[in-house]
Amino acid sequence: MHLRIDDIGKAWGGQTVLDGVSFDATENEFVCLLGPSGCGKTTLLRIVAGLTAPDAGRVILGGRDITALPARERRMGLVFQAYSLFPDMTAAANVGYPMRLRRDAPAKIAARCSELLERVGLGGMGNRFPDELSGGQQQRVALARALATEPAMLLLDEPLSALDPAIRGQLRSEIRLLQRGLGIPTIMVTHDQEEALAMADTIVCMNHGRIEQTGSPRDLYERPRSRFVAEFVGRANLLSTGFVRDAMPGFLERRPPGDEATYELCLRPEDIVIASDPRGEATVEDVVFLGNLARVTLGWRGRRLLAELPGRSTLNRGESVSVDALRGAWVCA
Amino acid sequence: MGVRVSVAVTTVATTRPRVLGALLLVLPVLGLLVFFVHPLLTVLWRSLTDTEGTFTLTNYVRLFDDPGLPHAALRSLAIGLATTLCTVSLGLGLAMALHRSHLPGKFLIRGALILPMLAPSLVLGLGLVCLLGRNGLVHRLTGLPTDIYGFWGLLLANTLYGLPQVVIIVSAALARTPARHYDAAESMGASPWRQFIDVTVPRLRFALLAAAFLVFTETLTDFGSAVVVGGSYRVLAMEIYSEVVGQLDFAMGATLGVVLLAPALLSVWLGRLARRRQDSGDASPGRTLVPAKHAGRDIALGALSVVTLVPLVAVVATVAYVSVVKLWPYDRTLTFANYTGGMPDGYGPVGTSLGMALLAACAGVILVFALTAGLRRAPAFIAKPIQFLASLPAAVPGMVLGLGYVLAFNHGALSGWLYGSVAIVAACSLFHYHAQAFLTMQTGMRQVPEALDDAVAVSGGSTRHVIRDAVLPFAAPAAVSTFFYLFMRSLVTLSGVIFLVTPDLGLASVTVMRLDENGFLAQAAAYAMCVVLAGALALGAMRLLLHVLKDRRHVA
Repeated sequence: MHLRIDDIGKAWGGQTVLDGVSFDATENEFVCLLGPSGCGKTTLLRIVAGLTAPDAGRVILGGRDITALPARERRMGLVFQAYSLFPDMTAAANVGYPMRLRRDAPAKIAARCSELLERVGLGGMGNRFPDELSGGQQQRVALARALATEPAMLLLDEPLSALDPAIRGQLRSEIRLLQRGLGIPTIMVTHDQEEALAMADTIVCMNHGRIEQTGSPRDLYERPRSRFVAEFVGRANLLSTGFVRDAMPGFLERRPPGDEATYELCLRPEDIVIASDPRGEATVEDVVFLGNLARVTLGWRGRRLLAELPGRSTLNRGESVSVDALRGAWVCA
Repeated sequence: MGVRVSVAVTTVATTRPRVLGALLLVLPVLGLLVFFVHPLLTVLWRSLTDTEGTFTLTNYVRLFDDPGLPHAALRSLAIGLATTLCTVSLGLGLAMALHRSHLPGKFLIRGALILPMLAPSLVLGLGLVCLLGRNGLVHRLTGLPTDIYGFWGLLLANTLYGLPQVVIIVSAALARTPARHYDAAESMGASPWRQFIDVTVPRLRFALLAAAFLVFTETLTDFGSAVVVGGSYRVLAMEIYSEVVGQLDFAMGATLGVVLLAPALLSVWLGRLARRRQDSGDASPGRTLVPAKHAGRDIALGALSVVTLVPLVAVVATVAYVSVVKLWPYDRTLTFANYTGGMPDGYGPVGTSLGMALLAACAGVILVFALTAGLRRAPAFIAKPIQFLASLPAAVPGMVLGLGYVLAFNHGALSGWLYGSVAIVAACSLFHYHAQAFLTMQTGMRQVPEALDDAVAVSGGSTRHVIRDAVLPFAAPAAVSTFFYLFMRSLVTLSGVIFLVTPDLGLASVTVMRLDENGFLAQAAAYAMCVVLAGALALGAMRLLLHVLKDRRHVA
């Protein structure tokens, strides 16, 4: 089903939280709302769920304006960060809850519950209470519950943030597989750029209640449109036009026209090429060994530059090196 | 960005649960207005008008005509300050013994501290009189000339009565102080004494202040102890009682009530300020402290506990003893006769008290639950004033409220079916103790995770389902506590209901007072023990229920 968010605005007590936010989510798409805390992404998700009313704008699902529809009539599956399971119900009872509210037949509920629990990898654990499950297992139950009534959309509100890194990675791919298998349009809120890059078809990058950029993970990483996106998604070296003119004049050709201060050049650390060179202009200030790659801090023409080298680097602190860049993108400062 | 056309949307979707939430508020707020604000305003109005109903300040001028009244005010103030000082320092010591010592048998301290909460305040006075009065047990056994009536007796009775509440407040603050602060102080080489000064005390400041205000208010307005051990040391509460009951001067009673209200309101307001400051404290308590052995500290706190609690236990034990004595204090043969005969109304009043307490607790828990549930998602401009109103009863002396009930409900629209009924006494107890019940329930409500509300809503549930499936599992323990708190308080209350009893409607606590007034000490003691027993049973039932609830509900 196609979801259209049209010019949504929201303020809490005079403070603007969302300002003219619009985007589309098509059938089967996995959309990540990415941004720092306080950027309005959770408010936007709650507006889609019907838990918060927007001050302006419309939410349109499958061609129907659902802005005024209460949450309980929207058929959305929602998974929260944590603490959303009923503590006095077993896992199976939790999963069956929305179906019981709809007064489905008990036999049908039981069958669907075990099917869903099987699906999220908790087959046979239906009798456990939430406090007898690990954090990851609890989130699986919450996921099964969100899917119980065959929702029109799946909404995930930082579902992995409260989990250990190892489980987080595992659940990440499981959620993605499940979503692809069911072909259900999904919106996930996250502040973790790595998670967004790994999971999303489309990332909606937000800051201060506005959308900074919408696009595929690759788009956002390779062609960030603003300084904010460049720095929030991945790591970035941002160079002023003046600096580029002196140090890497080759990049000036593709610079969009505009004032000196309107654009900066974004160089991703892995796009920087370093070669050991006694006459090189740059000095190695620090090398951090990260196993499969090395993160190198360089001092170059009076500023710092971050570079990442694949494999095991042989560079030493204090060594002189030459610097070049494979590619770069001009972003709005 | 170009010109943006803002599309106004109907906010029906998410305001509908809010409307239902507001509906939950209607009945409890109406209750507060009719049974709390209305009687209070009646008292105020009565103090400011003459018999014809015209505005006058004569009543306040009359206060100074009677030389006894300013004296009584000074006495009330003196006893209030002295009691506050004693209770808070001893309570601090006991709380430290419970939480910061390695003493064995802490359950004994906890057990002893329960005693004053089970009985009407006048039972402690009764015990003191039987133990240390002119004809008390100590005099009988040793021949020492004991005389407990007056300032010291009142101080002792009030201190013993206030202790458990101070210990509860200070204990809560002590339990909230995380161990890591002590670990940090320890690692930097702070001695135990320095740790007490630098870590413990700063975190107790507001709790101590809150406890002090609570004790001060209660003492200032307590009637039970004053009537039994006050003797010729007449305090304001006694003056009101004699103005109203003795001379039927309601206007004077009302005026004195307003006078009594002022300092109580002030102290509650200060207490609220203190609590607000405290709330901005540590959010994550973390690991709690397990005190290590420290001989000096443990011996000192142990000695303090013994010195404080032995009199407490002795006083209650004396009441128990007197209740099984044939003719106190002359013939001390043991007998159960006091429990079986000699009382004018038999156990009727105990039954009435139990029924009244049950009614107050049932109605109270429903009203307070609805109120706190309705407030959960209410906007601040609605929630703030209602919260203030709901916690205001803490500032109102029971006697003033009771007087308000007499003035407001003895005639008028509601008097027909309210006057002289159990319902009115129950309402008076309920709204007298409304603030603490409200606070307990609200704390429980705060445990409900907001995500659970939303989970119900997106699953297709309405407000009814939110309350049943999200709120109840978390708030049930608080509801049980609230129920039994109201039940036990209503069972033992005296000052609020003293004006509301009629010849046909006796209450246990009032009966104890009447028996004591008429010199039937043994019967009074027997009666008091019945109330203590009922209170103890209720407490046991609550513990059991909470335990079962915690076990079954999987809620931490």
